[in-house]
Amino acid sequence: MSAADWSLFLGRFHPLLVHLPIGLVIALVFLELVATFRPRRAVVRAAAGPLLVLLVPTTLAAALCGWLLAAPGGYDAALLQKHRFTGLAVAVLTCLMALAHSLRRSGLYRFFLVACCAVLVPASHYGGSLTHGRDYLTRYAPAWWKAWLGPRPSAAADVGPASTDPAAFDIYLHGIQPVFDRYCVSCHGSEKARGGLRLDHAAGLWIGGDSGPAIAPGQPDASLLLQRMRLPLDHDDHMPPEGKPQPEPADLDLLAWWIGAGAPTNRTLAELTPPEPIRQRLLRTSVSTSREAAPGTPAQAAAPLPSAESLRPRIEALVAELGIAITPLASEDPWLQVNAAVAGPRFTDAALGRLAAELGPHIRWLDLSGTAITDAGLAALAAMPRLERLQLDRTGITDAGLAALRGLAELESLNLYGTAITETGLTVLAELPRLRRLYLWQTRVRPEAVQALQQARTQRPELQAWQRELEQLQARLEQARLTVELGTEPDPPLPAPGVPINTICPVSDKLADPTRTVWHEGQLVAFCCTNCIAAFQKDPARYTPRLAQLANPPPGQLGKLPANRNCPVSGQPAKPEVTAVHGGRLIAFCCTDCRAKFLADPARYLARLDPPP
Amino acid sequence: MTPWIEFAQRMTRRAFFKSTGLAAGRIALATLMLPELLRGADKLQARAHPGLPGLPHFKPRARHLIYLFMNGAPSQIDLWDYKPRLQELYDTELPDSVRQGQRLTTMTSGQKRFPVAPSIFKFARHGKSGIWVSELLPYTAQVVDELAVIKTVHTEAINHDPAATYLLTGSQIPGRPSLGAWISYGLGSESENLPAFVVMTPRWSSKRDAQALYQRLWGSGFLPARYQGVPLRAVGDPVLFLNNPGGVDAAARRTMLDGLARLNQMAYERSGDPEIQTRIAQYEMAFRLQTSIPELTDLENEPRSVLDLYGPEVTVPGTFAASCLLARRLVERGVRVVQILHREWDTHENLPRDLSLQCRDIDRACRGLILDLKQRGLLEETLVVWGGEFGRTVYCQGELTRTNYGRDHHPRCFTMWMAGGGVRGGLVYGETDDFSYNIVRDPVHIRDLNATILYCMGIDHRRLTYRFQGLDQRLTGTEEARVIHGILS
Repeated sequence: MSAADWSLFLGRFHPLLVHLPIGLVIALVFLELVATFRPRRAVVRAAAGPLLVLLVPTTLAAALCGWLLAAPGGYDAALLQKHRFTGLAVAVLTCLMALAHSLRRSGLYRFFLVACCAVLVPASHYGGSLTHGRDYLTRYAPAWWKAWLGPRPSAAADVGPASTDPAAFDIYLHGIQPVFDRYCVSCHGSEKARGGLRLDHAAGLWIGGDSGPAIAPGQPDASLLLQRMRLPLDHDDHMPPEGKPQPEPADLDLLAWWIGAGAPTNRTLAELTPPEPIRQRLLRTSVSTSREAAPGTPAQAAAPLPSAESLRPRIEALVAELGIAITPLASEDPWLQVNAAVAGPRFTDAALGRLAAELGPHIRWLDLSGTAITDAGLAALAAMPRLERLQLDRTGITDAGLAALRGLAELESLNLYGTAITETGLTVLAELPRLRRLYLWQTRVRPEAVQALQQARTQRPELQAWQRELEQLQARLEQARLTVELGTEPDPPLPAPGVPINTICPVSDKLADPTRTVWHEGQLVAFCCTNCIAAFQKDPARYTPRLAQLANPPPGQLGKLPANRNCPVSGQPAKPEVTAVHGGRLIAFCCTDCRAKFLADPARYLARLDPPP
Repeated sequence: MTPWIEFAQRMTRRAFFKSTGLAAGRIALATLMLPELLRGADKLQARAHPGLPGLPHFKPRARHLIYLFMNGAPSQIDLWDYKPRLQELYDTELPDSVRQGQRLTTMTSGQKRFPVAPSIFKFARHGKSGIWVSELLPYTAQVVDELAVIKTVHTEAINHDPAATYLLTGSQIPGRPSLGAWISYGLGSESENLPAFVVMTPRWSSKRDAQALYQRLWGSGFLPARYQGVPLRAVGDPVLFLNNPGGVDAAARRTMLDGLARLNQMAYERSGDPEIQTRIAQYEMAFRLQTSIPELTDLENEPRSVLDLYGPEVTVPGTFAASCLLARRLVERGVRVVQILHREWDTHENLPRDLSLQCRDIDRACRGLILDLKQRGLLEETLVVWGGEFGRTVYCQGELTRTNYGRDHHPRCFTMWMAGGGVRGGLVYGETDDFSYNIVRDPVHIRDLNATILYCMGIDHRRLTYRFQGLDQRLTGTEEARVIHGILS
């Protein structure tokens, strides 16, 4: 091990050692208090001697380790400076305490003890802040306490409040950095920079960490940042690590767009025109992250929702009352999936109102298929802004009701099959930014209207630009391709395994037995029983129309006829499933034994082949 | 015999510890939360069973699973795994470098030769994805853009019974809960009137004597019996004794069941045996099935166009097509898992004919199921899985001719497909060698497959466990299983 390795190794002992002197100083204060109020104070004071013998070396060892720990860097320099200064002061003061005590200067000793305590408190606090983050202690303090502490300095405070005015909305500061602030900065920030990466300011992205720059401007897929965030959650390299709050897919889309646009850090919303979903997301990000804003602002609405597990009593009450199924979407998230379809027509507008009032902001998936919901009831959807999947199929809703979907900015899948929806209703849907799947089977919407809706969503300028780019790339691919012509070989003759063309008996309409078959006009037809075969053979014309309906198109050449009706070996009727190919002809036999005999000496039996049926 | 003696005789050592242990636990619990406990117990009986707390582990991709199990093992070489080069090798010996001393079943271990039998069926590319599909599946080929075709599933079992048990319960040794039981245990039921897990065993067309099916393929193993699959009968009434006997009306039946439930509850309080709770729940379910099953199987309101999707035999109860239609109707009504077990794909001989008949049974209905789920928006929340317990050999079993051949069991690679909830359509995953014998790229063990199915349902296979015989048991067992992210959307 090199000296640097040793220094790293020993440095890690700082947190371990540092608590021992703290305890000893507290013990010394306690002894001094006891001595003040008790008789025989000399004895009590004398007990301080051995403690000081322990205190001085541990303090010095802790200070030394601390110095080594800080050497490689990665900490907030200003905070570290404070901690280093106060920590050293504690070490010096403990030495002075020991000196004063050994010289029996009790007045001086007390002075140094008080001074040591006074410095120890901030020293410990700075140390704690270095490890856990600046606001660790007071993050969950009561509101009045926080108010008394004053506003916490944050990035958002420096950049000023986000504005919805496009000209004043700084895409990076108001829309992108808040994403990092929320999910990344606790480990990749000023106080702690894991892997050498800092994401609390834009430069950190370019400088990157131990594995290189975090982003490749213009190339989202080549950016380490996105690659790591897109890994499956259980992958070791996934960021943020499993167990930490995870960004939503929309956040990744947002980052991908921003990097794809060249990762601009000095552009406003007015200068760049992001696609509508990205724009929505940008605005939303800025609102939901400015949670440090004063009470009463819209930021309050974006307070984190309680987890689905904590809603259990409310869920169980609603389940019992409404007869529906409510399940968490995932155990640690606040989101719910609601299946009201199991209640069927018993689920009414009033029930939806109850559901929306109780759990509205939590509902992500809502299945209302086949319920008694009407247009009036859909107004309750306004209380479910986070809906992602909505099933309204087979309900009594009409175009008028769809207006209630207007605010569902995160809706991805909408099922309207079996309703009275017409194309008038679709205009609302064109505006839903995230809608990906729409089900319109058994509605009055014409195919032309659907096409128009699809075009309205894809004919945006930036998408068309991509389309052109794609076509150019496609053309270049085509140019690189080599076509080789080898001519066509004739297909080898295909055998016929003897599969009937139908599965249902054309006489009885019962299930046909594939072994009860007759040949009819070059096709193998199956029947359910011998009676039906007789009936069919007596009057085929009567059943052929039904047979035409029942005939499945034979796959490939299956159903091709054997050349014979009777077995050339035994003379018995041949079974269509026992066949062999000889001389380009398919020959059927009564049993496998006969087939073996035939194949052993075909010439002997060929003459006995009866004419084709 | 006096009651005291009877009690003393029943009170075995095991029963004693079981009942006293439970009683102590109940007392402790009751003092903590008596009112909630009592109310909770009532509700549990009145409603379908809820899922476990803490599940789903992650956001599910699918809420329902339809498992189309082709019992007997379909031939991957004749259906999905296109190997055109084999035509040149017709009737040549399978190279030892390919077989590598592979363990053979007793059906072919005595054969002197292992001649290569190329498929006699034509393959063509289908869909936008251009996936090769055999002419035996002309309808399924039309929806190939919805399927993720996995060509490299493999297993260790070489005979039907252990292999099917392995695939569907995660272990070759009987006694484990089936996949469906695990899912219904973990996620619970959404339907009050139908079981969470329904099983159908439709009829088949190839040879009469088929491999047996056994209850453990949908059983609950060591999980409480209420999580096992409920089989619907293929012939006659789907559920027996649906109608009340003469002179008993619904009200009388209800009163009788209420009385019975009180008696059972008393028995439960005395013994604490969870199987009594299962019994109470099953009586309740049976009562509700009296109305829900006739409604389920009444196809009156199914439009002609929908029936036609599944093929002409859809109106004949007990066919694969009818089972697929019922599967859709079950999923629509909130049933969590539907498993259809279609039998006799075991083509040791006469493969061309038998396989053709088997494919005809299922082909059109598979496409019908996918299209019907899709038009209703159910495909995005339903995972459909198709496949058998292993594959079939490239070498011929028995006599090889240009028109006829047979294939033995082959565990080293076989093809399954998945569609719907969370699966990327139009995708081929994995690659086999030129003989469809060994895996070249991306192997998928059946444990990986089960882990992936659970993942799609929002379940972490490592975290859904049940303590039994001193182990936290799980579907994927103790060996490593990985989720196949490559097939997920």
